[in-house]
Amino acid sequence: MAEPLTLALPKGRLFDQIQDFFATKGIVFSVEDRKLVVSDRDDILRIFLVKNSDLPTYVNHGIAGLGICGDDVLAESECQFFRLLTYSFGNTSMCLAGKEGSRPVALDSKLTVATKFPEFTRRHFNKRGVPVEIVKLNGSVELAPVLGLAPYIVDLVETGSTLKANGLAVIERLEDIKVRVIANRAYYKLRYREINALIDRIREE
Amino acid sequence: MSEKRRLQIPQGTEAFFQEEAKRHRRYTTQLEELFQLWGYLPVKTPAFDFYDSYRPLIDSGMEGRIYRLIDRDGELLMLRSDITLFLAKQIATSLRAEDLPLRVFYSDTILRYQHREDISRNEFFQVGLELIGKPGIDGDAEALILLDKGLSAFGREDYRIHVGSRALVRRIFPENLMQAAAGALCEREFESLSALLLEAGYESDRRKRIVEFLSFIGPIEEFVELLRRMEAQASLPSEAYGECAYLCELIGLLSRLGMEKRFLVDLSESGMQGYYTGIAFQAYLAGADSAVASGGRYDGLLDHFGFSAPSVGFSILQRKIEAFLPDIAPNLRQPERVKGADFADAYRKAEELRRAGTPATI
Repeated sequence: MAEPLTLALPKGRLFDQIQDFFATKGIVFSVEDRKLVVSDRDDILRIFLVKNSDLPTYVNHGIAGLGICGDDVLAESECQFFRLLTYSFGNTSMCLAGKEGSRPVALDSKLTVATKFPEFTRRHFNKRGVPVEIVKLNGSVELAPVLGLAPYIVDLVETGSTLKANGLAVIERLEDIKVRVIANRAYYKLRYREINALIDRIREE
Repeated sequence: MSEKRRLQIPQGTEAFFQEEAKRHRRYTTQLEELFQLWGYLPVKTPAFDFYDSYRPLIDSGMEGRIYRLIDRDGELLMLRSDITLFLAKQIATSLRAEDLPLRVFYSDTILRYQHREDISRNEFFQVGLELIGKPGIDGDAEALILLDKGLSAFGREDYRIHVGSRALVRRIFPENLMQAAAGALCEREFESLSALLLEAGYESDRRKRIVEFLSFIGPIEEFVELLRRMEAQASLPSEAYGECAYLCELIGLLSRLGMEKRFLVDLSESGMQGYYTGIAFQAYLAGADSAVASGGRYDGLLDHFGFSAPSVGFSILQRKIEAFLPDIAPNLRQPERVKGADFADAYRKAEELRRAGTPATI
């Protein structure tokens, strides 16, 4: 029997969505006892549970041949992968937000932004020709405008309730963030047949 | 000296010692002997050269990774980041038409920046060859066979050589979209590729069939089968079939020589570097996180430096493969430690051993 394909999945909410979706395709796995390496019932996959932002590193080094993560994570990594599949679930938006009622942003002058996503922010505004000063934070970015660290934030927004609770509002939806199945390029080239078969199986209807 | 300077070396450099260095040298020698058996001669390129000589040939990806410096006359220099480029200039400026075909090989370090997440990529040492002045299938087959033999010298059999064609991409896309198409194809970004086909004027059904065709990886028999279907539906521009027939002929030849298991047709191997004009290929080894060798045909590269001759060649990223090889130390002869009444006595005893071929230390 062929060696199982290796797949890195991000811990957290996206993991639950992937687990449920895979089950509908007959690929069943569960995580017990805080295990970080699990196999599916039929042993076609060896799954590694990793921190979301570390996922590209594991795939880049070929430790996991495949991975599932959002564009936000990929944008922060400088690594190159094959993007094999895009899912309709788990999608969200990267938004520019500021204090509710704040004046519209003049995107022709320098922008100061606090964010967990400095690479995405730099690339996005550079593409638009807007100079941007970035304050890198690791979490609770909504605090930045409230406490005066930076007037604006760039962050993932799903419902907007956290923004609202902190007196902030979306100023502009910058880009859609999609969930992708990625592959280490060399791993794909050596196991393309099995990977293509898996991709056909885990494709949405 | 700061801790950083004492404990680290700059990104893009590497040092290795003892057993690791011994093993490295052994494989280097093995590859050099192989190339010499096929009539290749060694060549050395300068460690740095004038940046402007290469500027038009450096793509944006490489641009950000090369180290530049300024010499005492204010000339901008670049460190050797791609041996093929440096070699092309050296050869073009010293070669005469009567010297062709020329066969040269190299084994040298390259210096370029690597991101901290890429530091295990081990791209610092390349051993490779160039066959200049031999166009077409004879030249391409020789390069591919030598790559196969070179890789098998490492004692691993689980590598595969994926062969594609930049010439085929050129037949499908107009010149202004060619570089973008080759880039998207290498990245297997089929949505972008489809958008480029739309820009090139292909209608919807045909776009779909061409994208499916270009995504092909597989053995030659499957490629022939797919090609038949494409021909029956007239899916490709007519000029493209000649390039496909050439790929079939080339891989067919390698198959007849008993190498069919290790060569696959992979149309997404279209050559990342802009200077490729014909076949393009990469080799993959189980466990390695990226390609362990790459090469192709670049018939216009020497023209850029004022000499016209077709060329084909490849580089093996030797350090990348060595990371997966067993320690060869047990097979290496350890020097005998010689003791004597004094240095002169030990020297004489050690010399006797050395004359008999036994390594000895005093």
